[in-house]
Order: sequence, then structure tokens, then C-alpha cells
Amino acid sequence: MKNIDWLVSYPKSGNTWFRVFLANYQSSLNHPVSLDKILSAPVAGNTLVFEDIIALDPFELTGDEADLYRPELYKSISAEKSGDTLFRKVHDAYILNADNIPIFPASVSKEAVYFIRNPMDVCVSFANHDADKIDKKITFLLDEKAYLAGKKSGQLRQTMMSWKSHVQSWKNQTEIPVLFVRYEDMIQKPEETFGAIIRFLDLEFDILRLRRAITFSNFKLLQEMEQKNGFKERPQKCQHFFWKGKIGNYRDYLSKDQIDRIVEYNYDTMKEFGYIDESGALTV
Amino acid sequence: MKEYLISGVEVITKQSHIDFQTKNQWMFSGLTFNVSEKDFLFDVKDVAIFRVIDGNKVLFCPYSGADQKFIELILNGSVAGAVLHQQQKLPFHGDSFVYKNKGVIICGCSGSGKSAVTAAFCKNGAQLISDDISPISFRDMDIFLEPLKTKMKLWDDSIKELDISNECLKRIRPALNKYYVPHQTDREKHQLDRLIILGVHNQPDYRTQKLFEFEKYNALRSQIYRKLYLKGMPETEKKYFKQLLQIAQSIDVTMVWRPKICKIHETMDFIKETLAL
Repeated sequence: MKNIDWLVSYPKSGNTWFRVFLANYQSSLNHPVSLDKILSAPVAGNTLVFEDIIALDPFELTGDEADLYRPELYKSISAEKSGDTLFRKVHDAYILNADNIPIFPASVSKEAVYFIRNPMDVCVSFANHDADKIDKKITFLLDEKAYLAGKKSGQLRQTMMSWKSHVQSWKNQTEIPVLFVRYEDMIQKPEETFGAIIRFLDLEFDILRLRRAITFSNFKLLQEMEQKNGFKERPQKCQHFFWKGKIGNYRDYLSKDQIDRIVEYNYDTMKEFGYIDESGALTV
Repeated sequence: MKEYLISGVEVITKQSHIDFQTKNQWMFSGLTFNVSEKDFLFDVKDVAIFRVIDGNKVLFCPYSGADQKFIELILNGSVAGAVLHQQQKLPFHGDSFVYKNKGVIICGCSGSGKSAVTAAFCKNGAQLISDDISPISFRDMDIFLEPLKTKMKLWDDSIKELDISNECLKRIRPALNKYYVPHQTDREKHQLDRLIILGVHNQPDYRTQKLFEFEKYNALRSQIYRKLYLKGMPETEKKYFKQLLQIAQSIDVTMVWRPKICKIHETMDFIKETLAL
């Protein structure tokens, strides 16, 4: 049964923000839901779930070996809750495992929403998130062999590839219907953008709930909630998970050389998604 | 296999899959395994097919080109879990040791750091009883830690931090930077005094919470090793229910959250101080 909606993104591209919005949209409360409620859309690469269902210690498998089990794992999760729509957060690129089978099986995939953000803003936000150097993050964004997690991190190894290959992997696959959503549009045209996602996901559309959920997932409010109660998904070294969230933040942090490196490598994909205009100028 | 980690269990290598074909009515079929009260069949892709019968016999047939080290790991992990469940020796997902004459289990999910902290205790005078799987036995009102012929497994960074020489250590698998670290294990059963559930959080400090009543029972149940097998073992599950209640009534159970980034010795010291070990 096709009952899993994948919420896909490269890190720091609005995925968690959307999960907060979704938790508020699904809630009937007249106040914002706590940040912990987004766990109703958990991470697809959760090792606890993997070990429980597959009965193997994921940390005693290589990343490639763990990937062999993932299609069946998601089929099992889907079957267990066949009456429900399940949301899962994904940072993986769309890849095939060593058996040549897609990690995310079409037979249980309802659809996917891909959150895309200007890679230069991604880079700066990602460096803050991991308390890492910007140059190191640029290298990561341009690395076709990049991966996240694995080992004893608490999540399965997730193949990322470069930023552009990550985007293209989901764009070029034809098995799962995908809606691409720009982070910048979520900020600048929230009602239109979040509304389009709700309709795409085939959730009941209610304009009042939509407006309320947008208000309750306002970035400043999320910052206050994190400040007050903390947030489980914030890495220990990161000061604030909900950091700045603004468009074009990279201009305060990246040198011209650093911008050139990112743009040169990702030019076509940036142009395709409107981060570079017809004349070749940066739009953000 | 010369000597299996669970005494009295016969482990036999088979060359064909004939012994793995069964007309058994399985009580539960998972993704990789089938299970009923006294029979367990586990098929690990490209590695081997395993069968556990009556809690005293393990058969396995490797697939062509299988990683022998991985077979050993599975025999001593998920398969051993099935043996212990069939023997109804409630296995917790945890490390056990004796420290200052107190029997302790540190439970936690894979990656929580229970082995590294246990290794730190062992460097400070503790006697290891078992790594990763800790079975429990009962005699009247007494609760015991059952020893296994276990080998401790540690990641390279933990070995370095604990200042253990890695010159002669063997990798658990060629592809992984995790090693078997020899420890003298205690072959005698020892009374269980404390049970700790080690978790990880993103805060810079350590936190504890002593558990009571249903919270305590539920936490204990969640720490059973390979508890999904129990879906096909209703009699065993029923027995465990009573045993978990007995543990909950007589043993202190404490949740300890450590920072994700921390020193192993700090975690050990915190546990020692908090639990007055």
C-alpha cells in the first residue's frame, strides 16, 4: 500500500520547519504544538527501528549492507500501519542499493516533497549546525561521495553525493511523484507554498488551519521555543538549531572565492531552480 | 565452533539448506526471521541461514562467499538472543559487571556507549560478566547475572580514549574499525544489584532519573534484547512479565543521560557518584 510520504531535503533546507508546520496543521489546538511533536514525522534512517525490525545491529553492518535491508524495512513499516499515512524525514539522495533496488520503494511511497534551498545559504547554515568550518562544508557540498551519519551516530549511513547530484537524483527518478518546494518561497509566499504542499499531499485543505499553522510555525516563535525548552534534534555543539533562517544570509559569511566555488560546481541546477537568472546573475 | 558463548549449546555447520526447511507453523514471521516457542529461523542476506532449536542446538549454513567474521558476530548476537529466549533466561541489551561486589547492568541501545563505559569500569577494578547481552536468572527471590563466554567489542576511538593498546586486537569484521578487546570474564553468576539505562542527549550535562512503578516496568521491558522475537513466543513472554515485575520490585533502575559528546571516564565517574557505587 502506498502510504508513506517522504519529506526530502539536503540538510538545512526547511525540512524540520515544514515538519513543525505539519504538526501544527494536523493539530486542533489553538496554541503552537511543542517542538517534540515533529517526532510524528521521524527520521527514515533511525537505527532503533532498523535494529528492532531487521534484528541486526546496524553498527555491525557497513552502510552498503544496511542499504540492502532498507527497501524491505520501509515495506514492513508501511504494512504495520497500513491504514495511516506516514511521514518520514529523509536526507538521502535517491539511490539504488547494491541489489539495484531503490532504497525508497515505489510500492509503499505515496509521494515525496523535496525542499530545496540556495546552496550558499545551505552551506552557511550547515556550518552553524555542525559548528564546523565553512570551507569544510563547501568541500562536503561539492563531494560526489559525501554521506551523513553511520557508524555510531544514531542514524543509518545516508548517501548524500554533492548538492546538485542530491537534487538531480530526486528530480530524475520517475518512481515516486515529487513536489519541489523552494525554501525561499516558503518564506516569501507562505500561504501559497504551504497550501500547495497540503494539496499535493492530499490532506484535507482548510485555509484557517493553514493560516494558523503558518503563524504557529513562525521562525521567531520556533527560536523562542527552542530557547525556552530546547530541541532534541539540535546537535550538542550547535548553539541554535533555528538559527537565522533568512534568505541571502551567505552574503555575510562567504568570500567571493567561496561563492565562486559553489556556483561554478552547481551552476546548472542553481539556474534550473531560479537561484541564477537568465543573464547568469545570482537572484538571492 | 569450539566453544560457544552459551554453555551447553551445540553449534553445527551445515553444508545444505535441508535442515532449514520446515513445515512448522510459525507463531510470528518478521522480515528476516520466523519464530515459535522452541524454533527460530533467521535468514541473513548473503551471510548465512541460522536455526535455533530447543535452546540447545544452533545450525547454520553459510552462503557462498560469506564473511566468516560476520557469521561469528551474528552467532554471538541475534542468534544467541534466540537461544537465551528459548532457555527463558531473560536477556537484557546491556553490559554486566561486578564492581565493589555489586552486580550491575548498563543497558542501552546500540551506540549508547554501554560497552565503552563498562570497559572504563573494568579498567578501574570491575570484573566483566558479559558484553552487549546480559541474561538474568532467578532463584526464589534472588536475581542473578548469568555469565557468558563473551568478548567485548569497542570502536577504535574508545580504545584510544581508554588508552588500551590495539597492537594485538582483532577487528570484529575487516570493514569495520571495531575490535574485540580481551577481558577476563567472571564465570560465576552474581547477584544483580543495580540496573542503569544509558541514553544520550544533546545537553552538555549529565542527568538521571530513578524510575518507579509502571515507568520502571516499561523501561525494563524496552531493554529486552531482540524483544520482537517474543511476538512468536507467548509462553516465554508471559514468564518474562512476572520476572520483570520481580526485578521492578527489588532492583533500583535509573536512567542516565550522557552528553552526546563527552569523555568515557566522565560518564563512568558520574555513574559511580550518582549510584554511590
